[in-house]
Amino acid sequence: MEPLKWLWGYIKKYRLSIIIFSVLSPVFITMAFLNPLIVGRFVDEVLYNGNGERLYLYAFLILLVVLLKEVVEYVRRILLEHISQGAVKSIRTSLYNKLQKLDLYFFDRTKTGDLMSRLTMDTDAIRVLLSATSQSIINLVFYIVIGFVVLFSINPVLTVILFSVSPFILFFGYKLSKLSKPEFVKLREANSQLNTVVRENISANRVVKAYVREEYEIEKFEEKNKLYASAFMDRVRVWIKYAPPMQFFVRLINVLFVLIGGISVARGYMTIGQFTTFNGSLWCITTPMNLVVDVINQYQQFVASSIKIIALEKEEPKIVNRNVKKRDTGVSGKIQFKNVTLTLGDTRIIKNMNFTVEPGQTLGIIGPTGSGKSMIINLLSRFYDPTTGAVYIDDINLKNIDIATIRRNVSCAMQDVFLFSDTVFNNIAYGEPNVTFDDVVRVAKMADAHEFIEKLEDGYDTIIGERGMGLSGGQRQRISLARALLKNPAILVLDDTTSALDMETEFAIQENLKNTHKTKIIVAHRISSVKNADLILVLNQGNIIEWGTHERLLKANGYYKSVFEHQFGDFNKFRGYHIKHPGTIGLMEKRKNTGGENNG
Amino acid sequence: MAKNRYDVDEEIKEKGSIKSFGMLFKYLIPQKKILIISGVLLAVDAFLSLINPYFIKIAIDDCIPNGDYKGIFILALLLLLASFGIWIVAKKRVYIKNNMAMEIIKKIRSDLYAHMQYLPFSFFDSRPHGKILVRVVNYVNTLTNVLANGLLNVIFDLFRMGIILVFMLSMNVQFTLICLAGVPVFVVALVFLRKMHKKAWDEYSQKQSSLNAYLQESLAGMKITQSFAREEINAGIFENLCEENKKKWMKAKYIATGIPRVVNILSITVSLIIYMLGYFQMKQGLIEIGLVIAFVSYVSNFWNPIIQLTDIYNEIVNCGVYLERIFDMIKEPLVIEDCEDASDMGEIEGNVTFENVSFKYEEDSPFILEKLNLDVKKGETIAIVGPTGAGKSTIINLLSRFYDINEGRLLIDGKDISKVTLNSLRRNMGIMLQDSFLFSGTIMDNIRYGKLDATDEEVIKAAKTVCAHRFISELPDGYNTVIKEGGSGLSIGQKQLIAFARTLICNPKILILDEATSSIDTETEIELQKGLESLLKGRTSFIIAHRLSTIKNSSRILYIADKNIKEQGTHEELLKLKGKYYSLYMAQYKFLEEI
Repeated sequence: MEPLKWLWGYIKKYRLSIIIFSVLSPVFITMAFLNPLIVGRFVDEVLYNGNGERLYLYAFLILLVVLLKEVVEYVRRILLEHISQGAVKSIRTSLYNKLQKLDLYFFDRTKTGDLMSRLTMDTDAIRVLLSATSQSIINLVFYIVIGFVVLFSINPVLTVILFSVSPFILFFGYKLSKLSKPEFVKLREANSQLNTVVRENISANRVVKAYVREEYEIEKFEEKNKLYASAFMDRVRVWIKYAPPMQFFVRLINVLFVLIGGISVARGYMTIGQFTTFNGSLWCITTPMNLVVDVINQYQQFVASSIKIIALEKEEPKIVNRNVKKRDTGVSGKIQFKNVTLTLGDTRIIKNMNFTVEPGQTLGIIGPTGSGKSMIINLLSRFYDPTTGAVYIDDINLKNIDIATIRRNVSCAMQDVFLFSDTVFNNIAYGEPNVTFDDVVRVAKMADAHEFIEKLEDGYDTIIGERGMGLSGGQRQRISLARALLKNPAILVLDDTTSALDMETEFAIQENLKNTHKTKIIVAHRISSVKNADLILVLNQGNIIEWGTHERLLKANGYYKSVFEHQFGDFNKFRGYHIKHPGTIGLMEKRKNTGGENNG
Repeated sequence: MAKNRYDVDEEIKEKGSIKSFGMLFKYLIPQKKILIISGVLLAVDAFLSLINPYFIKIAIDDCIPNGDYKGIFILALLLLLASFGIWIVAKKRVYIKNNMAMEIIKKIRSDLYAHMQYLPFSFFDSRPHGKILVRVVNYVNTLTNVLANGLLNVIFDLFRMGIILVFMLSMNVQFTLICLAGVPVFVVALVFLRKMHKKAWDEYSQKQSSLNAYLQESLAGMKITQSFAREEINAGIFENLCEENKKKWMKAKYIATGIPRVVNILSITVSLIIYMLGYFQMKQGLIEIGLVIAFVSYVSNFWNPIIQLTDIYNEIVNCGVYLERIFDMIKEPLVIEDCEDASDMGEIEGNVTFENVSFKYEEDSPFILEKLNLDVKKGETIAIVGPTGAGKSTIINLLSRFYDINEGRLLIDGKDISKVTLNSLRRNMGIMLQDSFLFSGTIMDNIRYGKLDATDEEVIKAAKTVCAHRFISELPDGYNTVIKEGGSGLSIGQKQLIAFARTLICNPKILILDEATSSIDTETEIELQKGLESLLKGRTSFIIAHRLSTIKNSSRILYIADKNIKEQGTHEELLKLKGKYYSLYMAQYKFLEEI
């Protein structure tokens, strides 16, 4: 899309401002031309001819013209600021809304630093175009047109001869414009890389210190720091290659004027008065022409940036609402996977998976790292669509349910806990900002988080660091769990949410959750977390390799059994001993030899 | 330090643009040669540009009326040469001034970034990361123009004003004084506006920073936002932030746009007064008309640089605000730094001693640990357990000197760790933190982060030890698989394994594992344990874990509660004790009892 046409879409609602600006512009320029004329008349009539009675009239006129000129100019500039700020705001919010609609397919392949650049650096290039460049262009055009008309009326032949150098000016202008565009693209890419490396370093501040890699990080950064500077200088190099010659040819107009104009006067083709007036009006063309290089620069920067913004606007999410059959109604919580396969890139992550969970039931999922456990959750929340097969909630294909409805009813405490740098209260209330304090406390208690939150510096008003830094892993998990509980969803998902908790805490949380009539999905490594589930799936490399209840799986003598053995293998022995000889620990000596067993 | 949210304005400890520009001066000193050359070139450029009207005046006054063709040719030739001169000078000048600006920008950014590397955790934990980012990238970029054009132009314009002033004084003292009378009016207006002006930019930069912080966090937490279907609320917040940005920008612009207008009006008014006064004095026969005309042209020459200065002035005020924030961060105390005569720790054995160690995060907050004593012999494996928030992580954070202790001493091999260089201290340690942050880059590079000169074989060996080799090999590009930002695309367990390999590859004498394996599946853990056993030999290690199986075989287990070690001993000893550890251990069987 043509960048200017695209931009028009954002500024057309400022039509009135644009019209006012368009009306004011000739007024300003007229005043700018009028001012020296009146002063000249004043000097002639009052000073030279001693026409004293006109003194105050002229003084008044001069002041009036200046005041009018400056007031008009003020209004004109403010109007442009208003339009440009409005447009930037609209573009930013439109991009932000677009980003919120985009799916993980998009975010998986896009760098945050690059997105940040688009919403900050690129939108700023648009602000410059609208607030400064546009005005320069208008002024340039007015000055050049008026200047040309005046010059032509004085001496058409001389005017035509002088402007025979225009092709050279245009040539260098064109070259400058064409060659600076890729330089701007390079510069914004360098900026985006700089952004990325600094951003990552800030997030990794703990790791950097732990590995004493400060100097290495500085080296890594210096590379990007230099890249930015050199990209900047490359742009300057293009500028100095084409802008000075362009300005030279503009100056050549003056040289030609002295030469040809001078000879014309000496030969009598032109009066000296005409020569002086011609000279007095020549600046109307030459000064603005010198400014053309700035306009070219700013315009190319705008083009480079707008291309990036337009590209982002054109991104379309794959996960969209289409043929929605269910919206905003209660969900009872039945879940069904029918022949679900998910392929991302070349990797088949989920392979032909089938299972059903009835409303109110609990599903446990267990399996080695990277076996696709979290991907089941991603499919259920519709962060990805199955490549083949389908996922159903309440017997309706997810693709036919409004996405917001799905996500309001499927509440996840995710494995990768992300907290915002905000108060504990706001973090828990993230999904439901209008809840009462009591509601937040209630879910915090359910997640066994209330006690430690109370002990924090400012209790629920304590601000926590980005990603929850400053809290322990267990504390973060419990806040994330409370956040998930607050939604009061039909389906509650705990994706390895209790891994950093001690058993006692986990046990307490399980007790708290027992009586909620929700469909629950618990992804875990600990047998204790999934043991009471109505259905346990054992996953390996995207396949369900075992399924059933705890008892059935123990009997099956497979993977589940071996995990159980490892975690609780000696339990029966232990319990037996414990009951027979309460208070003695003699058994422990024996157990020492078996080593490495127990719990998880 | 007050903690900060995206919408809370940052406190700038030391306000004052003057001071900030003082600090900027430090960066200009090494460039003084370039500055002088730029200045000379600027003067040449200005001189060559000014001869144009002068030559035309000669042409009109002398050559043309006399039909002096030769004179016209010579003038045209001289003008042509001057234009060439400007071409050459501009080429050189534009290059070196921009180059100088970039050198300074690069240096400021380097200093800022390097300083940031050594700032304490609390600095990063207490504010949204977007607010730090905006200082290092955006604010520094904004300085470019002022550095390239602003400063020299200011000096140059002031210089021009001085010369014109001399001319004016030599012509007519009275008129000069009138002309100068406009200056105090202007200065007073500027001083009066300055506060408002600066405040407006100040507020704008706060909002700009908020917008950045919110944006950055929104992007990082997008999955949470989408899964909580909170898009609409966030869109509202974001739009609000944009609106505030717009408002503050407009406020600043109302003032910034007004200043040049006032100067223009002032300049014309002064000229007018001189015209009128000139007229009256002329009538009295005191002065000649030529003087009045010439003087007025000087008046406008005198005010032109002021008009240009006000343009730059606006940018300078704006930059002053950014400089304050940049230098505020450069001046941010490091908190944890090498003491003056810090020595190199050298190779260590791994004996660790805590002597009456007390610690609290802030002066007025309660102690986290109080009078803790602990003696660890080299090669011991120490497991740390206890309720959340009891200070388990604190113990290892103190040992790694991420925080300084308030009382007591902390010794490694008998050496006080506050007396050795941080670098030599941490080089001896392998620290695996709770969050296993991975960098964007290949898996190979991520593991190698622990030992930069490690060979591929060493990397693979480390990966094998932590049982990460299998899943890595199964990835499409194996060890060369590129990990995306923040490690997305891998499961937490996989990330932990890679981070684990990263820690092991540096072959540390003291190994610290803080919840290193919480998300690793049981099967992998069994294997991992086997590998670890041989690996832990000869190293002192500290392990925090909730899986008791991970720690059961440690040589000593510490139960931390109530700011100190409550129980310690081997697994068996502690079970015999029937105290806190015993109930913790029993808890894991509690649910089985219910069958």
